[in-house]
Amino acid sequence: MISTSEHTTSMELSFPSELGFEVIARDAVAAFARRMGLAADRVEDLKTALSEACINAIEHGNSLSPGTRVAVVCHCDAERLLVEVHDQGLQSYTPKGDPLSISDKLAGLGPLRGMGLMLIAQLTDESGYRSDGEAGNCFWLAYFRQPVVGCR
Amino acid sequence: MSNDTSRPGAEEKIIELRLPSKLGYERVAMDTASSLAKRMGFDNDRVESLKTAISEAVTNAIEHGNQQDAAMKVVVLLTARDDELIISVADQGRKQLDADCTTRNPHIEDAMVNADKGGWGIWLIRELMDEVEFTTAPSGGNQVRMVIHLEQ
Amino acid sequence: MMLEDELTVSVRERDGIAIIDLIGDVTTFAEEKINTAYRDVTNRGARFVLLNFRQNDYINSAGIAILIGIVTEVNRNNQKLAVSGLSQHFQKIFRMVGLAQYAEIYQDEEEAVQSFKTQAAAA
Repeated sequence: MISTSEHTTSMELSFPSELGFEVIARDAVAAFARRMGLAADRVEDLKTALSEACINAIEHGNSLSPGTRVAVVCHCDAERLLVEVHDQGLQSYTPKGDPLSISDKLAGLGPLRGMGLMLIAQLTDESGYRSDGEAGNCFWLAYFRQPVVGCR
Repeated sequence: MSNDTSRPGAEEKIIELRLPSKLGYERVAMDTASSLAKRMGFDNDRVESLKTAISEAVTNAIEHGNQQDAAMKVVVLLTARDDELIISVADQGRKQLDADCTTRNPHIEDAMVNADKGGWGIWLIRELMDEVEFTTAPSGGNQVRMVIHLEQ
Repeated sequence: MMLEDELTVSVRERDGIAIIDLIGDVTTFAEEKINTAYRDVTNRGARFVLLNFRQNDYINSAGIAILIGIVTEVNRNNQKLAVSGLSQHFQKIFRMVGLAQYAEIYQDEEEAVQSFKTQAAAA
């Protein structure tokens, strides 16, 4: 997905798969994003999107299983900042089409939880999911470093 | 995930951070450690001391140990225990740390007459942390292990 | 790479005191900005120099070395130096390093300016 060249700056973080540690991941990645010059409001968006992705990894991908870990890998090149959240894939993610909006949920069309993926989609420039097979699930969040016409 | 058999029952949580060897990225380590330490219950004064100590350790690893080669990594391990936080900072050892600079006590009167006004980093680490130990990492790099106790 | 600008340095005068505002991080990247500001006020004949720190939650040993350089120049040029606006933590660090022997530490700009004015009147 990304060609890692000498112009790419990377950072990795891993932490125990337990609720609460996503707060520390947020602070670590926010500091990295600020260094890469991401605008302050986009850093706030990233923090929220990242927390949701980490919580998904902890609760679903790693099924709250003791001893598992979550890894966050950040790459930044001239065009964009890419943040990947990896779990150990105890449970694999099955895409269920477009996430439901809050009005759909309030209308009883789906569970009240599960707003995370919608938040991730709305608070990033691009985001997506890929399966790393045995290695687990990966949700990725991307932010463009220069405004791209027609793409906010 | 305790790997310390001498302390049965002592639970520890490990956060691992791998940073590029570029000045400025010590901020990521500072913000990550600060976030963890606050959650562990350290008071503000201790958190500030920790931030300064970790910034000096990571800056040393970037500038000296890894000679600012951005492709080389600085590895920061934050081990949270019930009563203390252990911070280990390791570089890839392009340059070994001189043994005497780990014990030097600089004086401002000397700094004012010497061309070199620096040399305060390691001294600050020793002043601000409860335990400090300089070792060689298994990989051959320089490693500093710092401990800060949580007073209940 | 468009890194965030770590430090903004600006110079102003108040009641005959040269105030150097330092907003942001004081690290190795600060050297040229701080030295330029200091030379600027010195060339304009400043006798009283105040380093007014703001929003700086990061001063490291490289930054301390730059400030020791300023103290050295201040002594050579027979000026008076004070600092204000430091957090409790960095006030502690300044005392540990010994910088407090060469620069009076004040809580804020107002306190530093009043003290300088008293010293100027007594001189």
